[in-house]
Amino acid sequence: MNFHAVFTRWALALVLSGASALAPAQEQSAPVKSLQAAARLLAHAPEGVAPGKTLWLGLEIEHAPHWHTYWKNPGDSGLPTTLAWTLPAGLTAGDIQWPAPKKLPLGPMVNYGFEGTLLLPVAVPLPATLPPGPLKIDLQAQWLVCKDVCIPEEGQFSITLQATASAGAPLTAHAAAFAAAQAAKPLEGPSIKAEARVSGATLVVRAEGLPGGWRGREVAYFAADAGVIDHAQREQAEWAGEVLTLKVPLSPNRSESPTAMQAVLTQGPEAVALPVTLVGGWAAASSAPATSDAPPVEPWQPPAPSTGLGLALVLAFLGGLLLNLMPCVFPVLSLKAFALVQEEAGQRRIGAIAYTAGVVLSFVALAGLLLALRAGGEQIGWGFQLQTPWVVATLAALFTLIALNLFGVFEVALALPGHVAGWRAQAPWLDQAATGVLSVAIASPCTAPFMGAALGAALALPAWQALAVFASLGLGMAAPYALIAFVPALARLLPRPGAWMARVRTLLAFPMLATVLWLVWVLGVQTGIDGAVALLVLLLGVAYAVWAWTQGGWGWRLSAAVVLGAAGVWAAPSLHQPDGAAGVANAAAPKAQAAGWQAWSPEAQAQTLAEGKPVFVDFTAAWCISCQYNKRNALADAAVQADFAKRGVVLMRADWTLRDATITAELRRLGRSGVPVYALYKPGAAAPAQPVLLPEILSADGVRESLAATLGG
Amino acid sequence: MTVATVRRTFLAAAALCAAGALHAQAVVGQAAPPLQAMDANGKAVNLADYKGKTVVLEWVNPSCPFVKKHYGSGNMQATQKAAAGQGVVWLTVSSTAPSHKEYQKPAELAAWMAEQKAASTLVMDDSGAVGKAWGAKTTPHLFIVNPAGQVVYNGAIDSKPSANPADIPGATNYVNAALGELKAGQGIGKAATTPYGCSIKYAS
Repeated sequence: MNFHAVFTRWALALVLSGASALAPAQEQSAPVKSLQAAARLLAHAPEGVAPGKTLWLGLEIEHAPHWHTYWKNPGDSGLPTTLAWTLPAGLTAGDIQWPAPKKLPLGPMVNYGFEGTLLLPVAVPLPATLPPGPLKIDLQAQWLVCKDVCIPEEGQFSITLQATASAGAPLTAHAAAFAAAQAAKPLEGPSIKAEARVSGATLVVRAEGLPGGWRGREVAYFAADAGVIDHAQREQAEWAGEVLTLKVPLSPNRSESPTAMQAVLTQGPEAVALPVTLVGGWAAASSAPATSDAPPVEPWQPPAPSTGLGLALVLAFLGGLLLNLMPCVFPVLSLKAFALVQEEAGQRRIGAIAYTAGVVLSFVALAGLLLALRAGGEQIGWGFQLQTPWVVATLAALFTLIALNLFGVFEVALALPGHVAGWRAQAPWLDQAATGVLSVAIASPCTAPFMGAALGAALALPAWQALAVFASLGLGMAAPYALIAFVPALARLLPRPGAWMARVRTLLAFPMLATVLWLVWVLGVQTGIDGAVALLVLLLGVAYAVWAWTQGGWGWRLSAAVVLGAAGVWAAPSLHQPDGAAGVANAAAPKAQAAGWQAWSPEAQAQTLAEGKPVFVDFTAAWCISCQYNKRNALADAAVQADFAKRGVVLMRADWTLRDATITAELRRLGRSGVPVYALYKPGAAAPAQPVLLPEILSADGVRESLAATLGG
Repeated sequence: MTVATVRRTFLAAAALCAAGALHAQAVVGQAAPPLQAMDANGKAVNLADYKGKTVVLEWVNPSCPFVKKHYGSGNMQATQKAAAGQGVVWLTVSSTAPSHKEYQKPAELAAWMAEQKAASTLVMDDSGAVGKAWGAKTTPHLFIVNPAGQVVYNGAIDSKPSANPADIPGATNYVNAALGELKAGQGIGKAATTPYGCSIKYAS
C-alpha cells in the first residue's frame, strides 16, 4: 500500500462521516467503517439526560479478526487511541476509562492492546444548571489499527441528545455495552497499591491489597507509563501470603523516570488498577547486576538505650509472670494446676524443676531460632511460628489430643508403645518438661504487657544478652509453680485429691477445645476456608486414629493408620504451603477492613499525616488473642469511636497474621518485635514520624486519655 | 557439582542465550552493537569502518504510515541533509523479512530512496540480525553513535507520536537536537526516548 491509498482512505472516511453528520434528518453520525475496524459513537444515560445526572459517551471499535488497537501505553510499538470531544458549554468529558489490555506479542516485541469489540467510555457529569433542549456532541477520534501492518484511522462523530428539565426518559439502548466496559475496567481500591524499588535492571514491585482469590496464581503486569519497562520480557511474579512481588525488567533504553507510576494487573479475566510508588529513586538503576533483589531494609536502629540489660531482665521476668494470665496460655496452665494437686511434695519439686527447665529452654531455643533467622535476612518477629500454617495445624492436633485424653477417649499409657510408656513411668519429669515446652509454644504469640518493650529491646542486644532476657521471661512464667513446689505452706493451700478430680478433668477438656477453635480460625484467616476445613478433617482423622489405636488388635490399628494417612494426604496440600501460597479465596478477609478501618501502609500513613490528619495504627494478627480482645473491647467502644471521629483520626490496621516484611520493618522501627502495638501519630510531625505508643492491653478510658493528651481537646 | 546443578546451570545458560538473542539492545552510554551487512548493491557495510565519525541509524519500511509521515512531508530527508552537512554518516536500515508482504527487494527500496531524495546509505538486514542486536522496535527508530563508537541516542525521530504529518511542525526533532548538542560538545538532553511507529516486521 502506498501513501496515496492511505490518504484516500482517510479522506473517504472523513467525507463519509462529515456528510452523515450534516444530514439533518439524522440524530447520530454513521459508523466509520474500514476493512480493519468499524467505529461508532455510543451514548448511555441510565437516569436520563437531565441536570445532575451522568451521561456516558464512548467510542466503540469493532476490530476485524486479528486486528488490534492500542492501550494508553501501546508497548513496543503502536499508538494509543485518542478522543477529542467538542461539548456544549458547561460540559466536560472525563478521561477514557480504559479496559484492561492484552499482551499482543509480535516477533521479539510485545504490544498492549485490544482485539474483538472494544468500548472506550468517558463520563460526562451534567451540571445542575443544564438547560433543557438539544445537546450536540462532537467527537474527533484517532486510532491506529494493526495486524502485521498498521493503518492509522480517524473519524468525526456526532450525536444530538435531548436534555430534559427533570429526570426524563433514560437512554439505555447500549446499556449492555457500557455495563461490559464497566466490568472490564480494572478494579480500583484504596488498599490496592504497590511500592517499587529499583534493583539493577529490574523494578521490584511489591503489590498488596489484591483480591484474595488471586493468591498463588499467575498475574500479568501492564505498565501504564511508556518508556520505563521492557515490555517484551516476562516479569517474574512471586506470592508471599497476600503480598505479590513482581520483578519487572526495566528497559535498557528507559527514557522516563516517574516516581508515581500506574499499572494494571490481570489474573485471568479479572484486573486491578495498581498505583505504584517508587521508593529510593531511580539513581540506583544501572545495568550492573544486582547483588540481591530483596528490597533493602534500612539499618536497624536499636530503640532508645534507656532499656538496659538489667531493666530488660526485670521486665521480662514480670512479663513472664503475667503470661500466666493470658487467655492463650490458660488452658495449658489449668492442666498444670491439675498435676500439682495430684503430686506428692517430692514429685512436685522435681516436676517444678523440670517444668521450669522446659519453659526456659523452649524460650531460649525459640529466641535463638528467631535471631538466627533474622541474621539470615528473614523479616520475622516474635510470634513468627504462628505465621506458618502447618505449625498452627500441628498445635491444633496436639490440643485435640489433649482434650480427647481429658474426656477419657484414650489413655496415654495405652496409646504409646510399651517401651516408651515404661520409660515415661520411670521419668515423670519428662511429662513436666513437655508441659513447659507446650506452654511456651502457646504463650509466645501473646505479647503480654511489658513484654513488647522488653522483647524489642532484647532483640537489639548482643545475642547472649538477648537469650538471657528470654531465659528470664521463662523463669518468670515458671515462677508460680516453683514457688508452690518449694514452699510447703503454699502447697498446703491446694485442695486434696478426690472424686471431684474426674469431673474437673472433663471440664478442662472444654478450654482445650476452645483453643482448637481459635487455631482453626487462625488457619482459616491464613489459608481460607479450604485450609480450615482441611484442618478439621485432619483433626477428625487424628481423633479416630487415637481412639482406634487404643482399642488394641491389628484390625483397629490398621484402620487407625489408614484413616489418619488418608486424612493427612487429603489435608496436606491445603496446609503444607507456608504462607498459604495456595490459591485460596477469602484469604484477604482480614484485610477487607471493618468499617472505618483501612489497611495500613507506610505511604498511606505518610500521606494522611501530610494531609494534616492524625493516624491511629493497630498492629494486629488473627493469632494474637490480646489483639482480638482489644479489637472487640476498647477499640470497639462507642465512646472511643466517637473520640476518634471527633478528632478526625484516620484508623489504620496492619495485619501481621501472615509474614509481612513491611510490617515487621515498621515494628522494628518502633522498637517492638511483636503484636499488639498501638501507635498514635500527630499530624505535621517531622518525618519519620514518632508516634505515641499505647499499652498492649487497652482500656477504653486509657485510649481516650491518650487521644486527649496527644491531640488535645 | 551434582547432576541437578549441572542441569540448572545448563538451563540458565540456555535461557540467557535465548534472552540475548531477543533482548540485546543498543544502550545509551555503552559501546554500539556490531553492524555488518550489505548495501543495496551488495557492497559490505561495517559500522566499525566509520570509527571517528558520528553515525545515525534509521530503521525504515516504506509501507509504514509513520515512515510515510516523515518521508512524505520531507522531514526525514531534511534531517538527513542537515546531518550530512555536519559530516555525519546516515545509514537507513531495512529489517523487514523477505517473507513479509511489505518487503521490498534491494533495487526497489533503492529506487524508493532515490525517489524520496533520501541522503543516506541503505543497509539491507533481511535476516533481522542487526535490528535484533540493536533492539530496533519500530519504523522509524533512530540511533546515534558518537565518533568513539558509543551509543549516544536511542529513540524516536521527534516528540509527537502520531501518524499525522500535521504534527511535525509542532514537534521537537530529537535527532536534530542531539546532533546539535554533540557538535557543540554538550551532553545530550534527551538521550533515550520511546520510539514510535509500526513494529518492525522481523523474520520469525
